[in-house]
Amino acid sequence: MSASPSHFQQKMQNPLKSLGIRKKIGDFLNNTKFLNRSLSWYVTGWRVGVFWGLIALFLPQLLNFSTNFLDQTYFAPNILLLDAILCGIYVMLALGLNIVVGYAGLLDLGYVAFFVIGSYTVAFATSGIIRNIHSQVVNIPALTFWEAIPLAALIAGFMGVLLGAPTLRLRGDYLAIVTLGFGEIVPIVIKDVPFFYGALGFQVPPAPVVNTPFGQVDFGNPLDFSAFYYLTLAVIILIVMFNILLRNSSIGRAWIAIREDELAASASGVNLVRIKLMAFGLGAAIGGIGGVFNGVMTSSISYDQFSFQVSISVLIMIVLGGIGSIPGVIVGAILLRFIDVYVISTISNMLQTNTALANPSNPFHFLVSFNLNTTKFLIFGLVLLLMIILRPQGIIPNKRRQLELKGVGLAPEELSVIGEIEREEEGSSAPPESVEGLGDI
Amino acid sequence: MAGTSKGEVLLQLKNVTKSFGGLTAVDSINLEIRKGEIFSIIGPNGAGKTTVFNLITGIYQPTSGEIIFNGSSIKNLSPDRVLRRGIARTFQNIRLFNNMTIMENAMVGQHPFIPSDLFSVTFRLPNYRAAEKKAHNRALELLAFFGSELVMRKEEYAVNLAYAVRRRLEIVRALGSRPKLLLLDEPTAGMNDAETADAIKYIQRLRQEFDLTILLIEHKLQVTMGISDRIAVLDYGKKIAEGIPADIQHNDLVIEAYLGRKVEGA
Amino acid sequence: MFVLASTTSGIFIQTMVNGITLGAVYALVALGYTIVYGIVELINFAHGDVFMWSTAITLVVLNSMHVSTAVYGFALIGLLLLMIVIGAVVSGTLNVAIERLAYRPLRKAPRLAPLIAAIGVSFILENIAELWLGASGISYPDFFPNGGIVLGDVTIQYIDLVVVVLTVVLMYGLNVLVKSTKMGKAMRATAQDPEAAALMGVDINQTISFAFLVGGVLAGVAGVFYSLVIPVYAYNVGFELGLIAFTAAVLGGIGNITGAMAGGFLIGIIKALATNYLPNGSDLSDAVVFAILVLVLALRPSGLLGQQVPDKV
Ligand SMILES: Nc1ncnc2c1ncn2[C@@H]1O[C@H](COP(=O)(O)OP(=O)(O)OP(=O)(O)O)[C@@H](O)[C@H]1O
Ligand SMILES: [Mg+2]
Repeated sequence: MSASPSHFQQKMQNPLKSLGIRKKIGDFLNNTKFLNRSLSWYVTGWRVGVFWGLIALFLPQLLNFSTNFLDQTYFAPNILLLDAILCGIYVMLALGLNIVVGYAGLLDLGYVAFFVIGSYTVAFATSGIIRNIHSQVVNIPALTFWEAIPLAALIAGFMGVLLGAPTLRLRGDYLAIVTLGFGEIVPIVIKDVPFFYGALGFQVPPAPVVNTPFGQVDFGNPLDFSAFYYLTLAVIILIVMFNILLRNSSIGRAWIAIREDELAASASGVNLVRIKLMAFGLGAAIGGIGGVFNGVMTSSISYDQFSFQVSISVLIMIVLGGIGSIPGVIVGAILLRFIDVYVISTISNMLQTNTALANPSNPFHFLVSFNLNTTKFLIFGLVLLLMIILRPQGIIPNKRRQLELKGVGLAPEELSVIGEIEREEEGSSAPPESVEGLGDI
Repeated sequence: MAGTSKGEVLLQLKNVTKSFGGLTAVDSINLEIRKGEIFSIIGPNGAGKTTVFNLITGIYQPTSGEIIFNGSSIKNLSPDRVLRRGIARTFQNIRLFNNMTIMENAMVGQHPFIPSDLFSVTFRLPNYRAAEKKAHNRALELLAFFGSELVMRKEEYAVNLAYAVRRRLEIVRALGSRPKLLLLDEPTAGMNDAETADAIKYIQRLRQEFDLTILLIEHKLQVTMGISDRIAVLDYGKKIAEGIPADIQHNDLVIEAYLGRKVEGA
Repeated sequence: MFVLASTTSGIFIQTMVNGITLGAVYALVALGYTIVYGIVELINFAHGDVFMWSTAITLVVLNSMHVSTAVYGFALIGLLLLMIVIGAVVSGTLNVAIERLAYRPLRKAPRLAPLIAAIGVSFILENIAELWLGASGISYPDFFPNGGIVLGDVTIQYIDLVVVVLTVVLMYGLNVLVKSTKMGKAMRATAQDPEAAALMGVDINQTISFAFLVGGVLAGVAGVFYSLVIPVYAYNVGFELGLIAFTAAVLGGIGNITGAMAGGFLIGIIKALATNYLPNGSDLSDAVVFAILVLVLALRPSGLLGQQVPDKV
């Protein structure tokens, strides 16, 4: 977890680049000593990860402690913890989609589909209720929440493989459009196929109470989400570890290879369909796990919660944080959720309740009726577009990805088509032999 | 040359044709490559040489004809399957994984020998760990085949290597799969005389040390005439001559095909 | 667009007519996908929204002209042509601007990047429309008179005829453009081998802009046609329609102009049949179209009329 801070450090060491306030902060951090080390040592490298890791670990306690000096009407610890859990679910999704987009370099625009599949799997499996073809309720043996998690991962992964198998033989663009369609179709199918209770929605049983040697732990207690928070955190840590294990393995190497040059990878023995399917299926499975957590957390699910906006939001998290970078996508997810849940609604509230603005003679009076929530997705779309054009490597770049995203060293086929010509025109290859005879065009 | 002129046939192309729309890039070609030989394919630009490589390695599917390797058909196999059968290759316009280190490039070349199923990888099972370790050691050996430079720079990104060294690394990657047949597409293109002389030496060493059969596309006559056991000449997708270097050098058709057009890099 | 016929065969024929009319719209939009894909190998995800913007702007113009009921005679012809021109200009300009601002800066980037940019643009276009005209559907001033040719219990609406005929005329025009004009030849050359085309003096940037212009113009015209057939504006109409039209383009063989036309009509008919004969058809017909997309990609990725050409290595 060192990319961003070292970036920061580089800037600090380069006086030409660090102007004004940034330089002053840099100097301050470099020159102020604490326990024999400069402050900059404490705010760079793995130590940043440790710092935020500790905050995540003690978040419930910190929130409880905050009630001593913060107003509970705005900072109710349990509500904030709920926000943190929902944010954690997005972190799971971002980590899962990162395998597809960041590692294998494929674009999945319907990631929400696997989220839906996970949510409905936990709903059916733990309630033990499905409907038959005549819309009559049928009871099936119920599974526990714990069993539902791997089941959802399996079903979502299987659906991913089913969808990917015909598509991944083709060029990556087709996967993008097929997943886009899939993300739209799954909610429609849920709505219209009786089996799924579609238009009615579905109550999901809460997470269970577990007896441990240390006493009862209630994962589903709506008055205290800390147990479920720790469960979410644990699953995120597992997913991160899984991602790291994959990235640093023969599979991870093959993923880089197909990103850099699919043809050469294939000629080096990489089975393209298999290795892509693996990324796609794993991403889907993690999306399914996220769905399980979403299902029990929101407790009532219906098809219309699963829109294209979810898929795009997760994609934006990845692009914002840093395609292919684990700390990047985590930060991206948290940041986007933070903007979504706090910043945007806070600004809207402020505008609407500001007494000065309420005065009709105020030239900015029109802002009172301005609901930032409606512009939210426009802002998100702009973030996505601007990031991919101006800073494709994201906030915390993955070094290798940073080069690739600028097109450095990739095989011509991996570049968008016209790039190929412009490179040739720059004189990197031999001049043409003969061009006469066809000048008519 | 250690001419194994009547050895066992390793690779056979029977009436192989490949057309792209209206253009017939390879026109009913027959070839027999024997075990242990260095066989060269020469011909003017656009003659269809690279297309023959692409057909053998499964990158293109032949329009018609049959390709037999080691006694069984490899027609319509995907490139990774062909590789697993024992045919590795390099590319005319070097295709390294540029943003991977030299070591990683050499490791990808051994992909078929390292388990890549989820279970072994996630739990780092003993078979996986052993295979990674073995692959790492073998990568070092292969890099060392070309002296100490690649070994010393093994953690550098491939994009930083000089041209001639990139060609070597591509060969290392190809050797990773323990091929029986190695296809080299213009291995000395873009090299100066010293580098070319060096390449000639290591191609011969490759055959000896790795017990390889080598199929070579090459424009430089000093290379082909010097090290080939046999040569086939392509022109406009057709094989116009085949034989030992001395015969090819004096073949009228060949001379005409070459004099008629400019030869790249010769 | 309703099926009012009462006999079984009447219902079938009416369904087919509806399918062909919508098929014309799909075909026009599919052409935009195919032309652009043929040249820059990019799925322009924003294309459906470029189409939608034609419906939005013409809606606003019609409202500002206080058109709310059917008009007749020369006024009708004038108004129709005016709307077509406005739609074409709006969508054509928009498409060219998108290429300029969002795709061109990414030409040297990996393929993933322009795809992400495209989806970003689509998202932006949709949300601006939502902000501007709201999220709920708005009825489109249906200035085209009702009525049509009655054949037994089947009525072929005049608007259906006009849409189909004008679409065929446009397609003929497009064919002439691509086959016989200098720009069209440049487009074909670039599609086939951009490198060679550039060497032969084709201005690649101009050709790409032109392709986006043509695609946009066709989508703009399609927007007007669509609004007259289904007179409800919705900010997200382009999303679904874009997917359908893309399926049409793939069905016909992406990059193949004749294929896109045929694919459009075919998908129109299939979708109309599914809508009419399946339970919950209006929703599930989308699933049918999607199934076709996946099946075509699995079984015959080059489409019905396309031929597969391997990448040059
Ligand atoms: N994928 C393809 N699509 C269309 N034409 C192709 C394709 N691949 C090769 N060709 C054509 O086939 C012919 C033979 O090409 P090939 O690359 O095999 O020639 P070569 O003998 O290797 O030439 P060089 O010495 O220049 O490398 C050329 O005319 C080439 O343009
Ligand atoms: Mg060649």
